[in-house]
Amino acid sequence: MLQVLLDAIVLGCSYALMAVGLNMVYGLLRIIHVAHAALYTLGAYVGLYCLLNLSQSLWISLFVGALFSAIVGVLMYRIIYSPALTAPRYVPLIAGAGVFIASQELFRLLAGPYPYSFDAHFQFLSIMTPNLRVTETQMLMITFMVVAFLCLFILINKTNLGLMWRACTQDMELAASSGININLIIAINFMIGSALAGSAGILMALYRNSVFPTMGAMVSYKAFVVIVLGGFGSIPGAAIAGIILAIAESFLGMVPIFNLPREAIAFLVMILVLMFKPKGLFGR
Amino acid sequence: MRRFLCIVMVLMFVLCGLLSVDAMAQETVKIGFITPLTGFAAADGYSSLESAKLAVDYVNEHGGINGKKLELISYDDGCQPDQASALTRKLIENDKVAVVISGSYSSPSRAAAVICQQAKVPFTSTYAVHPSIVEAGEYCHRIGMAAPIQGRVGGYFAARELGAKRIALLIMNNDFGVSLAEAFKETALKLGAEIVYEKKYPLGETEFRSYLNAIKAADPDLLYAPGYYNEAANIVSQAREVGLRCWLMGDEGYDSPKFIELAKTAANGVFITTDLNRDSDRPMTRYFLEKYKERTNIDADMVGASGFDAVMLVSHILNKVGTKADDIIRYWDTIENFEDCATGPIITFQERSAIRPMDIQIVLNNQFRYFYRYYEPEIIYLNPPSGGK
Repeated sequence: MLQVLLDAIVLGCSYALMAVGLNMVYGLLRIIHVAHAALYTLGAYVGLYCLLNLSQSLWISLFVGALFSAIVGVLMYRIIYSPALTAPRYVPLIAGAGVFIASQELFRLLAGPYPYSFDAHFQFLSIMTPNLRVTETQMLMITFMVVAFLCLFILINKTNLGLMWRACTQDMELAASSGININLIIAINFMIGSALAGSAGILMALYRNSVFPTMGAMVSYKAFVVIVLGGFGSIPGAAIAGIILAIAESFLGMVPIFNLPREAIAFLVMILVLMFKPKGLFGR
Repeated sequence: MRRFLCIVMVLMFVLCGLLSVDAMAQETVKIGFITPLTGFAAADGYSSLESAKLAVDYVNEHGGINGKKLELISYDDGCQPDQASALTRKLIENDKVAVVISGSYSSPSRAAAVICQQAKVPFTSTYAVHPSIVEAGEYCHRIGMAAPIQGRVGGYFAARELGAKRIALLIMNNDFGVSLAEAFKETALKLGAEIVYEKKYPLGETEFRSYLNAIKAADPDLLYAPGYYNEAANIVSQAREVGLRCWLMGDEGYDSPKFIELAKTAANGVFITTDLNRDSDRPMTRYFLEKYKERTNIDADMVGASGFDAVMLVSHILNKVGTKADDIIRYWDTIENFEDCATGPIITFQERSAIRPMDIQIVLNNQFRYFYRYYEPEIIYLNPPSGGK
């Protein structure tokens, strides 16, 4: 049981890392950033490219992959979302979906349709006992999520930048009239969210030993469930909901008579939340 | 200037006309090919199409179809049944192909088969396993292994050869996985085994640890997990990680070098049912394996071998009886011991599905190796011929 719980927490970390970027964008701009999943795949491909061509170090690959995703995330905002912000809500939604679908085919055209092995060697803590096993990759994922969310928490609650970000999420026009450079805040917001999505892509590529063009599809659905469960716009909500969802999926998945696929469990959770607590667990 | 442009345009029209006359002079025999080159199944589509092209080159280098060049017209169906229907219509009505081949999954192949049956154009699927593909009618055939046969072979190997008494099933929830698991389960139960765990998972699933922990608790002798190599690599490596100590068995969907690359050493010891024997010394198998690698720089897989075999078989039939649909179908049903294929040999067609000896392969030292071959009619035929064992 402890082992299942631990495996679920690791899985929940990947959901949370993906969902937090989505939630940050929603919190600020009130748009559903569907193309976020493209940055997850992009991070994995760039990380793999670094690993194969530049350096054998996982850390460099993680850094470059996250950086690349961050830059592309900001460009995505400037080119795709920025012109669509004044349009009805469905316009950025459809534009994002278009970018996501096109990105899968672009990855396939550039890197081929076959999955690649992400075979990085690195040293990290691990626990190997007869009853509990936490591999190096699992430990890295948990540590990365804890550190990332702590940094995010400090950034948002203890810095001037965080204060400006919070002001923008409450009222963009008022924040702008108070002298806050909202374009800069939005760009930083996209940069952080995209870097986390890119890092999640690399960590999952390492965990699954696989990078392929459609790897973002499944995770993107899950990220939506996570933000509905955690509450739209809530960052701690995304972290906790990611882990709750993974635990629910893992334990229900173990029951043989509960013959529903994992996705069905996720969407069942989403339907129940929308019915009984539409603002989510931590929604404002 | 304007006059000069007019002269150039007139010259271009004349040249185009001359070229098209020349093209018409080189009459070809056309075969249609639908395969997914975009979307989640693009890797299989690529293997299938490249192998089909390899076969077309082989046929044309060896005299073509009664002196005419064989021409392959291929379209991307994105693994979508509606696309497959529309493109099959296009192949039949616009391109006027003699035969349609599907290098796609079961759902698009079923859609294409119905269209071909309505239009009375011969159709064959390459690696799609679902029984209903050939049930569309007498114009529809299958080159790959039908699910009832492959599942049955798996069941015999698990329960009879390995002696597994307690079996767990982890099934990919699509036409492929479910139809294989049904046949496997029926055979295993008939041979006295017990199913101790059964669960379906969706295509694209990557996290299997919770299922595998439950399977470990059920303490099976063997886990049969029909699926494709991407999911299979995760199942196998996570099974080793959670400490599941039992036989692991899969199907032809595992039969790709990518399975071993992704699962790494965890792949060693896994059994699969397949029809591509990489240890075979049959000339056509060797030819296919070497030329595919030369052409794509990737090792060949079962999906590719089926695409190659489909074109080889269709061109053999076209050479024998020409391009009339009824003649093709009549001859197709009489084929026996067809050797010019990478898998097989194809012994015959029964209920329009290819019958061939069935192989069990094992992964050893990160390579697929021959392990066991079934010839018994009651196992490898859809309906064993009367007088058979």
